[in-house]
Amino acid sequence: MSRSRTTTVALASVLVLAFALVTVVAAGCGSSATSSSSSPAAAASLPSPGGGGSIVLWHGYTDVERTATDAFVARFNATHPGFTVKAVFAGSNDYALQKLMTALAAGKAPDISYQYGSSMANLATSPKIVDLGPLMQQSPNFNWDDFFPAERLAATVNGKVLGVPALVDNLALVYNKALFDKAGIPYPTKDWTWTDFRDAAKKLTDPANKQFGWAYVNDGSEDTVWRFLALLWQAGGDLLNADNTKAALDSPAGLKAMQLLHDMAVTDKSVYLDNGNGNYLNLFNSGKIAMLWTGPWDISSINAGVNYGVQILPGDVTHATIAGPDNYVVLNNGPQQVANAWDFIQWFCSPDVHLQYAIATGHLPIRKSETKLPAYKEYLKKYPADAVFVANLDNVTKARPNIVTYPKISAALGQAVQAVLLGRAQPQQALTAVSQQINAILASGQ
Amino acid sequence: MSASSSAVTGSRSAGPPWPDASSPGASPSGGPPDFAALEAEVAATRRRRPSGWHLFLAPVAAIMAFPFVWMIITSVSTLAETRRFPPQLPHAIQWHNFVDAWTMAPFDRWLLNTTIVATAAVLGNLVFCSLAGYALARFRFIGSGAAFLLILATLMVPFQVVMIPTLLIVRGLGLIDTLGALILPNLVTPFGIFLLRQFFKTLPVEIEDAARIDGASRLGTLVKVVLPQMKAPLATVAIMTLLWAWNDFLWPLIVIQSPNQMTLPLGLATFQGAHFTNWPVLMAGTLMSQLPMLVVFIIAQRWFVQSLSVSSGIKG
Amino acid sequence: MDASTTGPPTGAAPTPSVRRASLWERLLASDHLAGWAFTSPAMFLIAVFGIAPIVWSVILSFQRNNLLSGGTWIGLQNYQRLLHDPMFAHSVRLTILYTALFVPISIVLSLTVAVALNRKLWFIRLYRTAIFLPVVASTVAEAILFNWLLDPYFGIVNVVLVKLGLPAQSFFQNPSQALYCIVAMTVWGWLGFCVIIYLAALQGIPRELTEAAEIDGATRWRSFRRVQLPLLGPTTLFLVIYLSINALQLFDEIYVTTRGGPLGATTVVVYYLYEQAFQFFEAGYATAIAYVLFLGILLLTVVQLLLGRKFVHYRS
Repeated sequence: MSRSRTTTVALASVLVLAFALVTVVAAGCGSSATSSSSSPAAAASLPSPGGGGSIVLWHGYTDVERTATDAFVARFNATHPGFTVKAVFAGSNDYALQKLMTALAAGKAPDISYQYGSSMANLATSPKIVDLGPLMQQSPNFNWDDFFPAERLAATVNGKVLGVPALVDNLALVYNKALFDKAGIPYPTKDWTWTDFRDAAKKLTDPANKQFGWAYVNDGSEDTVWRFLALLWQAGGDLLNADNTKAALDSPAGLKAMQLLHDMAVTDKSVYLDNGNGNYLNLFNSGKIAMLWTGPWDISSINAGVNYGVQILPGDVTHATIAGPDNYVVLNNGPQQVANAWDFIQWFCSPDVHLQYAIATGHLPIRKSETKLPAYKEYLKKYPADAVFVANLDNVTKARPNIVTYPKISAALGQAVQAVLLGRAQPQQALTAVSQQINAILASGQ
Repeated sequence: MSASSSAVTGSRSAGPPWPDASSPGASPSGGPPDFAALEAEVAATRRRRPSGWHLFLAPVAAIMAFPFVWMIITSVSTLAETRRFPPQLPHAIQWHNFVDAWTMAPFDRWLLNTTIVATAAVLGNLVFCSLAGYALARFRFIGSGAAFLLILATLMVPFQVVMIPTLLIVRGLGLIDTLGALILPNLVTPFGIFLLRQFFKTLPVEIEDAARIDGASRLGTLVKVVLPQMKAPLATVAIMTLLWAWNDFLWPLIVIQSPNQMTLPLGLATFQGAHFTNWPVLMAGTLMSQLPMLVVFIIAQRWFVQSLSVSSGIKG
Repeated sequence: MDASTTGPPTGAAPTPSVRRASLWERLLASDHLAGWAFTSPAMFLIAVFGIAPIVWSVILSFQRNNLLSGGTWIGLQNYQRLLHDPMFAHSVRLTILYTALFVPISIVLSLTVAVALNRKLWFIRLYRTAIFLPVVASTVAEAILFNWLLDPYFGIVNVVLVKLGLPAQSFFQNPSQALYCIVAMTVWGWLGFCVIIYLAALQGIPRELTEAAEIDGATRWRSFRRVQLPLLGPTTLFLVIYLSINALQLFDEIYVTTRGGPLGATTVVVYYLYEQAFQFFEAGYATAIAYVLFLGILLLTVVQLLLGRKFVHYRS
């Protein structure tokens, strides 16, 4: 019937029109998204910082951190008149990757962006990310080795340094002293073993009062995975083999780690399973949870009335812990922009400036030399808990593999840990299954 | 369900004076009703006696209102109080959270931006969706089926998939980081077109035919004859468009880059970090940002209320 | 229909001045031109901001693309991969289950509430505003509220269950229960929207029709079933289609509560594609998923429209 034919014609013509429109638009503005060279900006050809323009820094800081960042950026702008830095709040850091990817695809990216360390391996595939290695070589004062090993590992992908540490942290044991006192248990020490930890958690659990000895974030995400990795490393095990080609966690060490989780969560029922909305902290503040494995970011959210202590994690073979460094990545918007961005980063991450920033925000020092500066005493006085976290950085001997397939591996491992914690899978069974999944992911290569 | 059972048993409910089987006016065999008794019934119900409907509505309303109540409680608590679980009532009312939300950031600027965007979106939708919806409801034209399906089709792809090409188009138009980028894509929504089309089709066509025979143009018929009968659906489209334009977060997050162009949801997100959220100030800010919409809704309610005069005509 | 050129019929033979309108004049006056004239502003905006991005994305679905380093053409490989992807099949099952629960429950519940609200009761304005509130409360507040209510250890729901002698449930932490909790949460969130639309429709139903049925002796329930329900047909069709389209694209509530878990129990299709695009850097694959979803939604909508044409009666 002619009616349906004309309908088809109409439909087809609208589609063709739309396609044409898009092609025209994309042709007009898509070129800049793909024209940049894939080789890193050659340091020798970079102009000196200046030019009178401005660079844009995207971050996810809120509250105290935000005020501090704005203040420091203002100070830089006042003392470095060659160009301006604009610090823009780009949404919570959980959106940072999505926002940057979208901006890159649309061809309008910032000059510096705060990104989680776990995003580095994949961001590295973008030709717009600047390889900072040559720049560092040209700036002898930068002193890359001054940064903690954990940070350097997180910022390096395939031998290229693609970010400068913005933040370093690690997991330590934060505990409620009042609950320990009430149960008559001595506070955790540096030599605590897994057995001590499990026993204490059991004694600190009181179903009648809805009180738990430990809390674990059980949403299947990286939050679930990285705590397990700390356990795995403490038992002397590893996630992958040395060249990242096969899974290595199906080992006696892996089994020990999974078994501990099973024993505590399923057998003792001493673990509060947080579903990812951060409720564990509110419960800790209310005296319902005795021990947390967490980092400096939670310390500022502990209420004033809670008497807490910080200790390194309990250990098995070692007291290994895991760090979650985040980076500032520099995007290539042209040589002058890169030069200016690098100038700002050198200043912002220099020992004196960063120590002042740490004093303002409670962040851990990102350079070893910061701990030797005279102002460091002031830092420790203001944040006594951070002394343990800084010392704990020496326990960060391993890092998560900085490979492109890590997100998928993490998702698989997160499900496995979740299954064990919920009592839906036995430890060995979960380990075997996830090993196979990881090997499949590694074999497919992407 | 409780709602219909009370109607069936004829329990006394304050409502329109329908005579039912057990009322004084109805006769058991369904013959002509006793008008005197009917009038007495009508007079009685006009006094609004308590109704069984409350047993249903009150709990439902309470459940619906709960998070809003929680938002209010949080907005007048201190930060430390919000960091406890289970949540508790605050010891003192912290009005300063509202002041903080206003002053800690350019709240007034966000409010202005959001008002501009939302107003433009509402006006655009009312005009363009009425035109399109009416045409799709009443005119038989080539390609109307395809047009309708295409319009609906744009609802069927998740935003995450189309946000990048949309961003590219907006960039091509030179609108990145402007309010125009927020207004243009929202000037017309498939929801508005679809809803109005359905409502247009429920109107009896004879009145429009009469107007056309009298020489009115199509546009004139639409504006003078049809739209006045469409107050409730138009109000619905206005309110929903207002809500969506006001509360849209993901698209502004992607397309707006400077603080001066931010809308309220984006601006309020500055109180919400990955590890730290200033709950009291965030909730205070959210309440302040939602207040205009509540006011609009309360005012617009009269267009949703069935006029209860017994002689209400078709025009409602 | 157009009433343009023919004058009123007279008994006399037509005068020579009344001539047959030219093709051009007929075209100008036709429904075809009017139809496109009325719909063109909307169609233009939708073509640019709705259709064009969708078409662009289709290209992406034929690529392997991580959105960072440009794409490589792989033809239909993404679609072939979909056919053998157990996680995708699982997400489709979950999405269908969710939709099959959410849509009917929402419609029945909201119609009931709308009928209840369509009366003169004490506090009726308060009830109406309360029911509208969740639409105004942010998704974040909604998520926090439900996380709290349904917390396995501290949530109020479990406290009540235990007091009633029933075992405590783990809700969001239980793979068998999590999706149903999401159903509850989204029904709650959408209720206000559906109720407003039904209220708007109810107020367009003339009193006389219902009164006539009542005077003939029908009970309130029967008059509702015979008179009002069919007249609400177009609105119900709208809601069924609109709610289905949205339910099949469920994402926001999952993102702020269960993040697809526990153990993949709430990984619906759009959440799965979001993970693929922004967690696993497989934007090409994600777009292919979106297209299969799109085709599914389109098919369902066409079926619903055809059924609607058969069962829904418009008064005109």
